[in-house]
Amino acid sequence: MSPIDARIAGHAPSLVLPRKRGRGTGALLLALGLLSGCGDSLREPDAVGGPAVMRRLTEAEYRTTIAAIFGPDITIPARFERGLRAEGLVAVGTSEAGMSPFSVEQYDAAALGIAAAVIDEKNRDRLVPCRPAANAAFDAACARRVVDEYGPLLFRRPLTEEESAGFVKRAQSGQERLGDFYAGVELALAGMMVSPEFLLRIERTKPVTDADEPRELDAWSKATRLSYFLTNSAPDRELLRAAGADELDTKKGLQRQVDRLIASPLFEPAVRAFFDDMLQFDKFGDLAKDSVVYPAFNSTVAADAKEQTLRTITDLLIEQEGDYRDLFTTRAAHLTRALGIVYRVPVPTRNGWEKSVFPESSHRAGIQSHVAFLALYSHPGQSSPTLRGKAMRELFLCQEVPDPPPNVNFSVIQEVNAGMPTARDRLEVHRTNPSCAGCHKIMDPLGLTLENYDGLGTYRTTENEARIDPSGSLDGIDFTTPEGLGQALHDHPETPRCLVEKIYRYAVGRDTEMEERPYMDYLNKAFATHDFRVPDLMRTIALSENFFAISPPAAEARHELAQVALQSGDRS
Amino acid sequence: MQRFASMQRAKGPAGLLVVPAALFLSFATRADAPFIENGRAGFVVSDIKYALADDAEKTGACPQGMSRNVEEIFALTAEGRRRKGESDEAYARRLNDGGKKLSTAPDGQNVCMNPEAAAPDPNFRTLRSTSIPIDGIDIDGVDSRADASTPQSCPHQDAVGKQGQRGVDNQFARVVGCSRSYQSTGQSNGYAIEMLTGAWGILISLDGVDDIRNDDSVEVGIHANADPIQLSPARVPLPYATYAMDQDPRFRAKTRGRIEDGVLTTEPVDVRFHTITNSLHMERAMNHARLQVTIAQDGSLSGYLAGYTPVETMYDYQFGYRNGKNAKGEPGPLPLRLGTGNGAARVLGYTCPGAYYALYDYADGDPDANGRCTSISTQYRIAAIPAFVVDVATGSVNDRLVDKAPAKQ
Repeated sequence: MSPIDARIAGHAPSLVLPRKRGRGTGALLLALGLLSGCGDSLREPDAVGGPAVMRRLTEAEYRTTIAAIFGPDITIPARFERGLRAEGLVAVGTSEAGMSPFSVEQYDAAALGIAAAVIDEKNRDRLVPCRPAANAAFDAACARRVVDEYGPLLFRRPLTEEESAGFVKRAQSGQERLGDFYAGVELALAGMMVSPEFLLRIERTKPVTDADEPRELDAWSKATRLSYFLTNSAPDRELLRAAGADELDTKKGLQRQVDRLIASPLFEPAVRAFFDDMLQFDKFGDLAKDSVVYPAFNSTVAADAKEQTLRTITDLLIEQEGDYRDLFTTRAAHLTRALGIVYRVPVPTRNGWEKSVFPESSHRAGIQSHVAFLALYSHPGQSSPTLRGKAMRELFLCQEVPDPPPNVNFSVIQEVNAGMPTARDRLEVHRTNPSCAGCHKIMDPLGLTLENYDGLGTYRTTENEARIDPSGSLDGIDFTTPEGLGQALHDHPETPRCLVEKIYRYAVGRDTEMEERPYMDYLNKAFATHDFRVPDLMRTIALSENFFAISPPAAEARHELAQVALQSGDRS
Repeated sequence: MQRFASMQRAKGPAGLLVVPAALFLSFATRADAPFIENGRAGFVVSDIKYALADDAEKTGACPQGMSRNVEEIFALTAEGRRRKGESDEAYARRLNDGGKKLSTAPDGQNVCMNPEAAAPDPNFRTLRSTSIPIDGIDIDGVDSRADASTPQSCPHQDAVGKQGQRGVDNQFARVVGCSRSYQSTGQSNGYAIEMLTGAWGILISLDGVDDIRNDDSVEVGIHANADPIQLSPARVPLPYATYAMDQDPRFRAKTRGRIEDGVLTTEPVDVRFHTITNSLHMERAMNHARLQVTIAQDGSLSGYLAGYTPVETMYDYQFGYRNGKNAKGEPGPLPLRLGTGNGAARVLGYTCPGAYYALYDYADGDPDANGRCTSISTQYRIAAIPAFVVDVATGSVNDRLVDKAPAKQ
């Protein structure tokens, strides 16, 4: 009996229903939490956790999971619904969004397609672990082996005897109706992949004796959180083994698995996945540019721009083990020929990527000066200091900027005439209008500094033949160049704090709770102590007790009440 | 990690010296001339066509009419006239057969593959008038007259340019001036479309530029492009793309030039480019070629690339396609070469021998030992846009997959 099987007997999960949305409001707890954070700066405060969540697999998670289990050559014939973004992250939205009939149809199509590929003759020898005694007759033992092989990988936990028997029965039923053993197996596999146990990351806790105490995720839920956080994929066999052997409940065992996952090739895609979410790169799917205004824009440029920024991030943070804040000042240039046209730099490498450095004279420093950010946060036909300023506030500093009032006259800033040739001139109208000024004063001083880049990201010094004034400021720091803006972002105290906030939200799939402030302070201190190295931050989170803690039912009830009181509008 | 500034003397994968490309050391922007940096600039030719006279219909340049193809010539004969009651289909078939006979020399050779085996075509018309303006520049610095020759030339009458300038050397324009496919609506001057598909291209590089408006000495490179030209979704060439020079020294040329009031004029240099027609790879070459282009503030160039095309080379890539090669550099399939030469002549309205002999009749450059000129002045109107010209190994990653077996003939 395998460790996984051994756990089945004692597996009595307490299913925690997901809450829809919550925000802790306990002022007393906050004060206590803050006090508790005043002790040993690198000692984790007592775990308080947050509500358990039930997260739907994102499209990326779904794809990497299938690739990890069945191989990367298995195609997934489905279109996925766009993820809901909440608290700035799709990862959080996955715990809040429902599942539409369209999604269910697509999941069904995907499951059938994947299962068909698995049992296809060309893959059968590799992916089906046994041969039926006779194709026309049902081979229960072989069917059971298939279920045992893939069930735990797909459900991220051992299957109960009842579940296993159910899928074997489904295989038998399929075989009897279709007259083919493999057709039966196909239906059983497809059944697993449309199960909520596969599509949703359902978190379960260990049984507790004291209802007022935070609970702890069970081993399988721990493994799942760890795995998707550190590899963006389902737990592999080794992690499931460790979970089955209770190793994740020991510091040493947990550390061994965390270090193994961070050292694995899947860690880099996991970091990518987080920044892809944090930078809202799913918007690339909607990115459009006026080809008359920006003839260099095409789908290759869009794809390469996104990849460039992600390469810059992973290269600095993982390969070089660099300081997260340096992302806003780095001159590292990962380029393709298509991007070279937009940046107006030579790219000798004829095919693929070239790693080089933007010279100081290039006016490029930091990912906010990349085509990905500049093009994504612009209009199709012109740049937008407001969109760029808003994005920098929200993405990098976690500062929420309200949506514009409904009666704004946008034609004023879109109209270019002799009196208002530059965006600064046009936005002056907004900054002098009291109903607009409040927000524009927050956004525009940052965004106007990026006006040296047009709506695609090409450097320019003039707009409509008028010289661009790129001066700006960020929370009291003035600058006159895009490089100065990058340095201000680098030096801003909220920059690393925002990253900590977002990466933790991403890891747990929910907003942080007020009760977790001491824990967040702990993470912030740890991040600073580790020279703002993101892998170290992720390791700290993965090794922390709070990462696996679920707030007690009483607190849950408070969260629900608070949520009802606070819920208003879209918080994305 | 490779810094742009450190690439200058790196060895390429093929062991070749990687020469610094135009705009390579740094790409800081200068508002007045953003395309030039550290005295270097690069360009990719974005449009090219023969510089010719205005349409004959407008100028009256062809009082004897236009050149004819073999079917049209056959139709002028008694045998080729339409017979009473003859159906369209039958007559078309007879014209085709008659044309085929005319395409075959007395010794049985095809006249496009072997134009010298046929007699000159009296139906091939050329632009003989000396008063009709022809587009172009004075390549050799001599306003030649028909009754005089120089050691470098044969007697010929230089044309008057469209702006009235004297001494325009453009004998090719005379050869094709009465061919319908070289009129403004014809198909023979639209070969730039092959360049825009990425089949071939031309790069220009400047080095040692002190002043982009006036500089008495700059180094100029004129090279074949090893990379496909980059286009917008509307198929407009994009500025500031990176292109590699052809690695074959035969397709790279360097000369010196001067810039006066924003006009770059180079010293003569032999140049050679690729050209592809109907999947047949050929070479477009010119001897003693000069570049005379105006440099605009945005870094675009417009003007002329003019020189003397060897007659045999011109005949090959423009009329006969005799030596067209496949992508591996071997002789292209014979049926393809035959079909292309004869088909083009029929569709475009001339005969291969007519063009061949006319090219020699009008040849005005590179006289051989017998005093016969072997090249003909040819002028291209070109436009170019800023680009980064680099010198890197250009071997394909798929070279090892290429079938080394010779092509079937």
